[in-house]
Amino acid sequence: MDKSEVFDVIRDNIEEVLPRVTREQIRMDGSLVDLGANSIDRMEVVTFSMEDLGIKVPLQSLAKVDNLAGLVDLFHKHLHESA
Amino acid sequence: MRVGIEAINLYAGVACMDVLTIFKHRELQIDRFDNLMMNKKSVGLPNEDAVTCAVNAAVKLINNMDPDEKDRIEMVITSTESGVDFGKSISTYIHDYLKLNSACRVFEVKQACFGGTAALQQAVNYVASGVSPGGKVLVIATDIARHANLNYAEPTQSIGAVAMLVSDNPQILEMDFGAIGQHSYEVMDTCRPETELETGNPDLSLLSYLDCLENCYKRYEEKVEDSDFRHTFDYLAFHTPFCGMVKGAHRKVMRSLYRTKPDVIDIDFSKRVKPSLSYCQDVGNVYSATLYFALCGIIDNADFDDEKRVGMFSYGSGCSSEFFSGVVPHSAKEKLAEMKIKDRLEQRYALNTEEYESLLKLNAEWTFGIKDRPVDIAPFKNIYEKTMAGKGLLALAGIEDYHRKYQWT
Repeated sequence: MDKSEVFDVIRDNIEEVLPRVTREQIRMDGSLVDLGANSIDRMEVVTFSMEDLGIKVPLQSLAKVDNLAGLVDLFHKHLHESA
Repeated sequence: MRVGIEAINLYAGVACMDVLTIFKHRELQIDRFDNLMMNKKSVGLPNEDAVTCAVNAAVKLINNMDPDEKDRIEMVITSTESGVDFGKSISTYIHDYLKLNSACRVFEVKQACFGGTAALQQAVNYVASGVSPGGKVLVIATDIARHANLNYAEPTQSIGAVAMLVSDNPQILEMDFGAIGQHSYEVMDTCRPETELETGNPDLSLLSYLDCLENCYKRYEEKVEDSDFRHTFDYLAFHTPFCGMVKGAHRKVMRSLYRTKPDVIDIDFSKRVKPSLSYCQDVGNVYSATLYFALCGIIDNADFDDEKRVGMFSYGSGCSSEFFSGVVPHSAKEKLAEMKIKDRLEQRYALNTEEYESLLKLNAEWTFGIKDRPVDIAPFKNIYEKTMAGKGLLALAGIEDYHRKYQWT
C-alpha cells in the first residue's frame, strides 16, 4: 500500500467523523484541527484509520504528529515495518 | 461471600461556576464547548482541601451508623493526587475528625484518577479475605484541582470527594468478585510533576484512555464467560474527565468491537451511559473520585425496578486502568436518596466571574508546604457566609508548625 492509499483511508474516516467537511478540503498539508476536528474527532479519525489499516502505532509517536502528512508517513512506515 | 459498597456519599463543594461563562471569559473557542458536554464545575474555597472534602463526604455515612458498627471500621484508605504531606497520609486527619476507632489501619494511595479504584479494590479484598469477619473499610477518594497550564483543562477541573463504606453487606454495589480486566503501562500523559502544577498532553491521554478501555474490556471478557459489552451491563460508568470523553469512548468500543452503526450507538448511549453523566456534567472532573460520581449518578437517575448490573471503567494517567462490574440492588436507590445529592448540588453558590477570579487567586496562595498560616475569612466572607457558615461542614482553620487545624462551621 502506498502513501496515497493510506491517505485515502484517512480521508474516508475524516468524512465519516466530520460530515461537514468535503473530500476536496482534506489536503495532505492540512491538519485535523484546521478541519474543525475537536479532541474526540481527532482520536476517532486516528483510531478508526489504524483499525482499517490493521496496524497499531505506539501512542507516544501518534501524539507527536500535528498534520495529515505526518500521520500518513507514520502509518505508512508502520505498514511497511509490519509487512 | 457477598462484598461491596454498603453506603456511599459524595461532596462537591459549596460553590460552582458555569462552564460556558468560563469559555467566554477566557475567550476559548466556543465550538469546543459542545465537545465537553459540561454545564458547571465546582470551585473550592480557600479553607477547603483534600481533607475537608473527604470528611464532608464521609461524615453523613458515619453519623448514620450505630457506635458498635462504627467501631468496626478497621481501615481508612484515602486516594488522592492532592496530598498535603509526602509522609503523613491525609487518612490520619480524616480518622481523627470522624472520631474512628484507634484499632484501625490508616493510609493513602496514589495513581492519578485510578486511585479511588485502587483503594476500593484493596478494601474489597480485605473484607473478602475473611481476616476479620464483619470488619468494614472506609474508602475515600478526594481531590482538589491545581492550576493547569492547559487552557481547555480549566473548564473541567473541579474539587470534591466520594466516601464509600465497604463491607459484607453491600446495599449499594455488590462486586462481581474477580470479574476484572486490567491494563497498565508507563506513559507520560497527564501528571502533577510540581506541587502546584497539573500538566501533560491531553491528546495522548485521550488515546491512552481508549486503548486501556478496549484492552481492559477484552481481558474482562476472557475471564467472564458469556460476557458481552452490549448485553451484560444494564448501565455503564466510566471515569469522566469530561462528559464528551465518555461519549467518545462508548462509541469507540461499540464500533471497534461490534461494528455497531452510529444511530444504534446513540440509542445505546442514551439508555445505558447517559445516567452516569448526570452529576459529572454539573460538577466537573474530581480526579480519583469521578468514577464514583458517575456511579451515584446512575443510582439516583436511572431506573431500578429490579437489580441491575453496572460495568465500570477506571483510568488513571501514567497509567493504570481496569474494567470491573457489580450489581446495584433494588434497595440502593432509596438508600442513596437519603444523601440528597441532587439538592446539595443545586444549593451550591453560583459564582460570578469576579468572584471566581478572586477565589482562584486566594486558593493559589495555599501552596504545598506552608508552615504557619491562619485562614483569613475576610477576603471571601460574603461567599463563606452564604455557603459554609452554620452548615456543620469541616473547614481548614489554619496551619501551625505544619500541623493542619480544622474546625466545624
